[in-house]
Amino acid sequence: MEPELVVPTMEAIGRWSGVSLPNAAARHGLADHAALIAELEALRGTMVFEDEPSTFEAALRELQEPAR
Amino acid sequence: MNAPVSTSDLAMLSMTEAADAFAAGEVTATALTQACLARIDAFDAGVNSVIRLDRDAALETAGAADAARAAGKPLGALAGVPMMHKDMYYRAGKVSTCGSKIRRDFVAPKTATVLQRLDAAGAIDMGALNMAEFAQNPTGHNAHFGDCHNPWDLAYCTGGSSSGSGAGVAARFFYAALGSDTGGSIRLPATICGVTGLKATQTRVPRTGVMPLSFSADNVGPLVRTARDAARFLALTAGHCPGDATSAREPVPDYEAALSGDIRGLRVAVCETYFLEGADAPVAAAFETALLALAARGAVITRVKAASMRAINAYTALVSRVEGAAIHANWMREQPQDYAIHLSSRLYGGYAIPAHLYVEALSRRGPLLRQFVAETLTGFDVVATPTLKTRVPTLAETDIDADPENWGRFMAVSANTRPFNFLGLPTISLPCGFDERGLPIGLQLAARPFAEATVLRAADAFQQETDWHRRAPAL
Repeated sequence: MEPELVVPTMEAIGRWSGVSLPNAAARHGLADHAALIAELEALRGTMVFEDEPSTFEAALRELQEPAR
Repeated sequence: MNAPVSTSDLAMLSMTEAADAFAAGEVTATALTQACLARIDAFDAGVNSVIRLDRDAALETAGAADAARAAGKPLGALAGVPMMHKDMYYRAGKVSTCGSKIRRDFVAPKTATVLQRLDAAGAIDMGALNMAEFAQNPTGHNAHFGDCHNPWDLAYCTGGSSSGSGAGVAARFFYAALGSDTGGSIRLPATICGVTGLKATQTRVPRTGVMPLSFSADNVGPLVRTARDAARFLALTAGHCPGDATSAREPVPDYEAALSGDIRGLRVAVCETYFLEGADAPVAAAFETALLALAARGAVITRVKAASMRAINAYTALVSRVEGAAIHANWMREQPQDYAIHLSSRLYGGYAIPAHLYVEALSRRGPLLRQFVAETLTGFDVVATPTLKTRVPTLAETDIDADPENWGRFMAVSANTRPFNFLGLPTISLPCGFDERGLPIGLQLAARPFAEATVLRAADAFQQETDWHRRAPAL
């Protein structure tokens, strides 16, 4: 049974990106998004107001091995 | 010249053994190149790892290396060593297909920084290797140049996306190959083909002149036979390049100098959360045996949990999909039929992901890296996992083009490698056994940012304790 999200998602992709469904496998892949959405639902509220993408490079530098 | 070495013996050398033998005058670059070419001529029809073989140019370069050595000229650390590279590293004036129909005739306008650095070290570039189309599958399928086949058993996949790199190094067609790693594309073909593959810290190796897939997660690195090979290769290719503003400015240490074999007191964390869940029995058994080998050399093994893994996995699934979709948008609009089914179907899903979730994924990356390091690398030097949770799948059972129902098995291949791209941590895969069908199993080791020396030291000690990396497929 195909999840309900598939058809409206295809419509949104067409409208926003101008990309059409290329094949049946792509439709199968979209159905996989239901599980991903469920995982992201579980993460809602974890991002804090001050989080920003640039913290990643800073974290790489700061988390280096301590000198021993 | 010392005692003669047979052609078949020459092909079995590791990269550093070949380089050192050349430097010592024990073998010529021409002999090394001829040994590799003979293996390719004999066996690549079945493996299909090569897209373009520059035979005459390779022999000419080898002859020049021999002449330079005879003349007493200075030699680079990889002088005389034949290599081939994934066909997404640009060399000015050469076609770089990126494994695709769309770029079948694309002539590169410049030479990749990593190729320039390998050239400067004296490596011999023999040509370009098969790969997943636009580096976007974890299995090695390729609808345009033919699937690459696992040299341990041609019915099985090689892992991807650096399929020709893994298969060719395993088959002893050359001593080293560049791969690229956005979700496991170096480490997967390394583990599945039974060789060693290193993904360094995000930004460690410049990406100038390298086909992009995901700005946030792309990495450049080697597939080789040994950790020592990876150490030398990385030392020669890492370091800031003005052409890649994102490349790290951290100093590049002498990685080989750290390979003492002594890992007494090395603290190894085994992350039981996620990475071992659902692992096939032969994989779990080989992994536990590998831990015993590390312990035998004095490492201290501790089991840990990582609550951060759920978020890491969810966000990992977003970043490269969205970035890949953005890069390919024009071609996906104008010529989607020129992609393989498995690729256009994956790219298509990227357009459905809302922009705010993509930004959220990037924004949570730093905090989640801090959390993961606190959970697994605080009080520990490396974290260990199997590289691939399952036994090696066949090409048929991961072929989405033939049957979309294979989607789950296809996506599962990179389950244990993808998180380390999101985290940006240096990670190596090395052979640690074989399953009952004779297919390789891999051990994955990761460490803190820029701690490649620690990863390599642990991997080298493991390889001094075991001989899995010495085993070659019977072709």
